Parts: sequence; structure tokens; C-alpha cells
Amino acid sequence: MTTTVPLLLFLLSAAIIATVFAVVARSTARAGEVDYARANHLRKVFFVSLLVILAIFLGLTLPRLPYPAEAAVPEQIVNVVSRQFAFSLTEGPGPDSIETWERDFSPLAEVRTGTLVEFRVRTLDVNHAFAIYTPDGRLLAQTQAMPGYVNRLRVVFDEPGTYNVMCLEYCGLSHHAMRGVVEVVEEAQ
Amino acid sequence: MNDVAATDTYPAQMTRVTLYWVAVGLVLFPVLAILGLVMRTLQAGFFAATPPEWFYAVMTLHGLGMVGVWFVAGLAAMSFLLARYVRPSLTVSWIALGMTALGVVMLVAATLVGKLGVGWYFLYPLPFFSEGTWPDWATAALFGALAVLGVAWTVWSGDVLRAIAGRYRLSEALGWHYLSGRDGPDVPPIVIIATVSCIGVLAGLVAAVVILLLIGWEVLGGGTANDALLIKNLTFYFGHMLVNITMYFGVALVYEIMPAYTGRPWKTNTLVVLSWNTVLALVMFAYLHHLYMDFAQPRWLQVLGQLSSYLVSVPAAVVTIFSTLVLTYRSQMGWSLAPTLLYLGVMGWAIGGVAAVIDSTITVNQAFHNTLWVPAHFHTYYLMGVVLMILGGVYHLAVALTSEAENVKRSRVMAAHLVVGGYGLMLSFYLAGADAVPRRFAAYPMEVANGPLLAGISLVFIILFGGLGLYLWDTGRLCVRALRA
Repeated sequence: MTTTVPLLLFLLSAAIIATVFAVVARSTARAGEVDYARANHLRKVFFVSLLVILAIFLGLTLPRLPYPAEAAVPEQIVNVVSRQFAFSLTEGPGPDSIETWERDFSPLAEVRTGTLVEFRVRTLDVNHAFAIYTPDGRLLAQTQAMPGYVNRLRVVFDEPGTYNVMCLEYCGLSHHAMRGVVEVVEEAQ
Repeated sequence: MNDVAATDTYPAQMTRVTLYWVAVGLVLFPVLAILGLVMRTLQAGFFAATPPEWFYAVMTLHGLGMVGVWFVAGLAAMSFLLARYVRPSLTVSWIALGMTALGVVMLVAATLVGKLGVGWYFLYPLPFFSEGTWPDWATAALFGALAVLGVAWTVWSGDVLRAIAGRYRLSEALGWHYLSGRDGPDVPPIVIIATVSCIGVLAGLVAAVVILLLIGWEVLGGGTANDALLIKNLTFYFGHMLVNITMYFGVALVYEIMPAYTGRPWKTNTLVVLSWNTVLALVMFAYLHHLYMDFAQPRWLQVLGQLSSYLVSVPAAVVTIFSTLVLTYRSQMGWSLAPTLLYLGVMGWAIGGVAAVIDSTITVNQAFHNTLWVPAHFHTYYLMGVVLMILGGVYHLAVALTSEAENVKRSRVMAAHLVVGGYGLMLSFYLAGADAVPRRFAAYPMEVANGPLLAGISLVFIILFGGLGLYLWDTGRLCVRALRA
């Protein structure tokens, strides 16, 4: 998703909060009594408004959860195996242990545009995060790689290109250098 | 005020132990802040030859240290004010101080000597996969320190509850008689907040004990590997609770101290009681938002995480933050340093809270999880929120103990430095988060071009924030004077 909307929403909210605090701070220059009846009325309005805003955001966002819907069948499956400090991406099962890593490892997977791709993400050692970045540097999707579990991340790529994979869960000494690649090609190819 | 008898030596001794806790905070805070400066300097690309294990060791000490320092500073300051109504044990406080010092020494040794780099929440099983970076003794020192600190803080928090129970029944300490309409004693807000907070601390620390037992059983008992999802739930339950409760300690100071400056009382009423009881119920589930990207977690828990994270913001906004504004409005309050810091702290809590609620939206979290948006929002409600509240509370205490006149002009210059430096630093984090710059990277690769740039810009604001040095000098001087008196 785009991060512009949440960023602007936050900056607007922060500006409103700072303005309200500044106005109240300036009001202390003139002494006066507080009209508690009016303050409580304002509080009620604030309370109801806040609940309405939160309900709207819940209604808008909960139907769009990133978790795989059982009804949809993925058209392509990529097995992602993580270890300190590399990802293996293959259409086959991939390495099932550190010992078979060199033999079965592949740093790159090729997928097609417009295809529902399911990444089955697991780890051979510690927690990692499998995060796919678009060619222009946006964070497209991510899921954790957790010992003993397979996390299924589904993505439809709209644009062809080279999508970098980075680890977003701190995993040790070379965490920042952990990489993989998803090469997205046009469907017709 | 329902002060306990002040004819004995208890108040003087309570002041003494509190000042020692303050000293711990005033010494460790700047050291840990400098570690933060070191991290952003390395991320900006300076001293590129520095081995990454140093970055991650510093990151671990910075995170664990800041969480711990403000927890103990908050609990100590709240206990001091609470002693107006009930009597927390001085012996327990001294023992907790000694054990905390021991825990700090163990953590410093593990990180700066052993180069332990596991991050502040030491996510299982990373401590046991060092890849040769840190020795086994450093891992043992980490868990040893956590055990020492866990015992100390559990006993300390339990003692605060014991002290409250000496005067109020649990239902009274939670203010339930305000809701039912039954007769009962007047309960100051700080008693209710302390009760809610210490129950929360104990609940969090129980999870920490379970983690230590499970890991201990696996390592020492030779048992099979633990369930990583279970340990992760327990870890974030504990960590989230500890950080949230620290904020409530700061808020307790605001409730107790602000009325002294505004000249208006802040009394317990049904709204305050309802608010804090709701917080106690919801804060138990809000931690779930840390696991949104663990797709194996049951979906209903993910939805519960978003729902509880949204709802827990309501009592904070509608009761505490709104009431702070009402309390201040046209109060003709003099803006000396203590109320200024308390007021700015509430503002930081509000702004950071909005960013946190945005990030607690599952669909948004997929774009922000483990990017710099995360340190952005927690630094806002921590550094610009609870830290300012506690610093305000400590300054209030230091001035009250020494009766020294404040240099108001200097205080204003300092506050300006804090606001410009602090929010400039926060903005650099937010912009980086929105640009998907990962957190916890010792160095940024070529494709994350804005990472080093924004880290470099943040250095300017961190240096501006260094105006806080004036506060540390002033407050430290006043505390030494008070100790000698």
C-alpha cells in the first residue's frame, strides 16, 4: 500500500494536536474560570467523534487483511527458505537443512505479472522477515519467517522488474546484508 | 490532603532513596542517549569501517537500557508521590536499587564486552545463534540480568500494591465504588493509576518468568525446541506491557503534580475510574499488534489486536489528555520548567499515540512494520512523552527540596531546544519510515539511498536536543544539594 496517506494523516493530526496545545498554553496569559458544563459537552463530542473515526477506519481496513484467503487458489508457488544471512527462493522445495543449503539454494525466483503468487516462507534458524521491495524502492509486502512455521504471503505483481528482498526482522551480525531477488516478467513471456 | 503522619523519619528516608534512583536516571540517560547518537552516526555512513557487531551491541544496550531506566525512574518517582497516601517499603526500594545496579552491570558486560547483539526484545532463538559474534557467557549474562531485574521489579511493584492494600481494599484502589455508587473513601487518582500499573507490571513479569523457565528448560534440561510463536507472544506481551506501564507512571506524575501549578484540583470521578479500568482490561491485548506479520497467528487474534489497540487510545485521549487541557485552560499557570515538561510530555504522548494507532492498523502495518516508522512513534511517546513527564516530575521534586529560584529564561531556551531538536529528530524517523527505510540496519545498502541522508539530518536535531544537558546539570546539582541537606 502507499504510505503517503498514513503519513499525511499523521502530520495533519500532529499539527492539530500541537495547535490545540499551543492555544491552551497561550490562554493561560488571561485568567478565567472554566465552564465545566461546556467542557464536558466538548468532551462528549470528542468522545463520539473519536469512536466514529475509529469505526470508519476499522470498517475500511479490516476487510483488506493481507492474510491468504482460503478460497483463492495460487497460480504459482515459491518456496522461500531463510537462514542467517540469505534467502533461497525456488519453485521446488528448496534447502531443508543447513547441510543441503549449498546444493538446493537459489537466490532468485522468476514470477509472472498478473499472477497470484504464493510465497511459502520458513526459516532454518532464527526469525527473519521476508520483505519485497518494488524496483522504485517501495515496500510491497512482507511476512515473518519463524522457526517451525510456514507463513504464506500472496502477491500479484502488476509491473515487471527486479524486486529486491530484504530481511526486516533483526537476525544477527549481517542482518542488513541479507538479500534475495524476485524477477517479475511479463505474463506473455 | 490525606497525608500520612509526617512526624517520623519515613518521608526523609523516602526522599533519600528516591534521589538515588534519580541519580541512576540522570547518569544513565545521557550515556544511553549518546549510544543512540552513535547509531544514527553509523547509519549516516560516518566511520564506515566500524564492524557491524559494535552497532548491534550498542543498539541492544541502548534499547534495553532506555526501557529499563525509564521504568525504574517512573516507578521511583510515582512511589515518592504515592508516599503521601500510603507507605511503600524503603527496604524493598533499596534492595531493588542494588539489584538494578547489578543487572545493569551484567547487561553492560554482555553488550560492550561480550558484543551481545540481540536487540532489546532478544527474540527467541536469536540469543543462541550468535554465529560466533558473542560468547555463551554473554547470553548467560543477558538471561541472568533479566532474572535479577525481573525479581527486583516484581517484588518492588508487588510492594507498591501491598502498601496500597494497607489502606484500601482492591475494589477501592480501583475506584469501583465510584461506579457502583456505594460509600467508600476518597481515592486520589495516583492510587488508582498505581494500582492499575502495578497489576499490569506483575502480569507482564509473569510472562517474562514463563519465558525464562521455557528457555531454561530447553537449554539446561536438554528438551526439544520451544514453540517460537508462543515465545514471541509472551515476549511482546511482556515488552509491550513494560513500556506501556512506564507511560502510565509518567501520567501518574501529571495527575499528581499539575494541579499544584494550575491551582485546580484533579479529583477522582466516575470518568477517571472508568478510564483506568478500561485501560487495565485493554492493555492486556494491545501487544498483539506486534505480531501482525506473523501470518501463522490465528486471524481472530490479529483482529483483536487492532480492535484493542484502537480502543485503548480512547480513554487516554478523552480523559487524561482532554483533562490536562481543561486543567490548564486559562489557569494563569506560570510556565516554569516542571509544568512545561509535564505539559509537553502529554502533548508528545498524544502525537506519538496517533502514529502508534495508525501503525496498529493491520493493512498499514504491512508497509510500516520494522521500518523506521516504529522507532518514530515509540520515540515520540517515549522520549517526547513519558521521558519529559518524568523529567518534569523530577525537576518539581528537586526544586521543592532545595527551594532554589529557577532561571526561567534559561528554562525556556532549554525547552525550545527540546521541542525543535526532539521533533526534528522524530520527523527524520517518520519520513524514513514512510520511505520504507528499514530499522536496525548497521549500514544502509545502495538501494536504500534515503537511509543515510535522513540519518545525517537527524544528527543535527540530536545535537540540538543536547540542550537537555543544561537540565541534567541543573537537576543534578539540586539533587546533590538535597542529598547533603
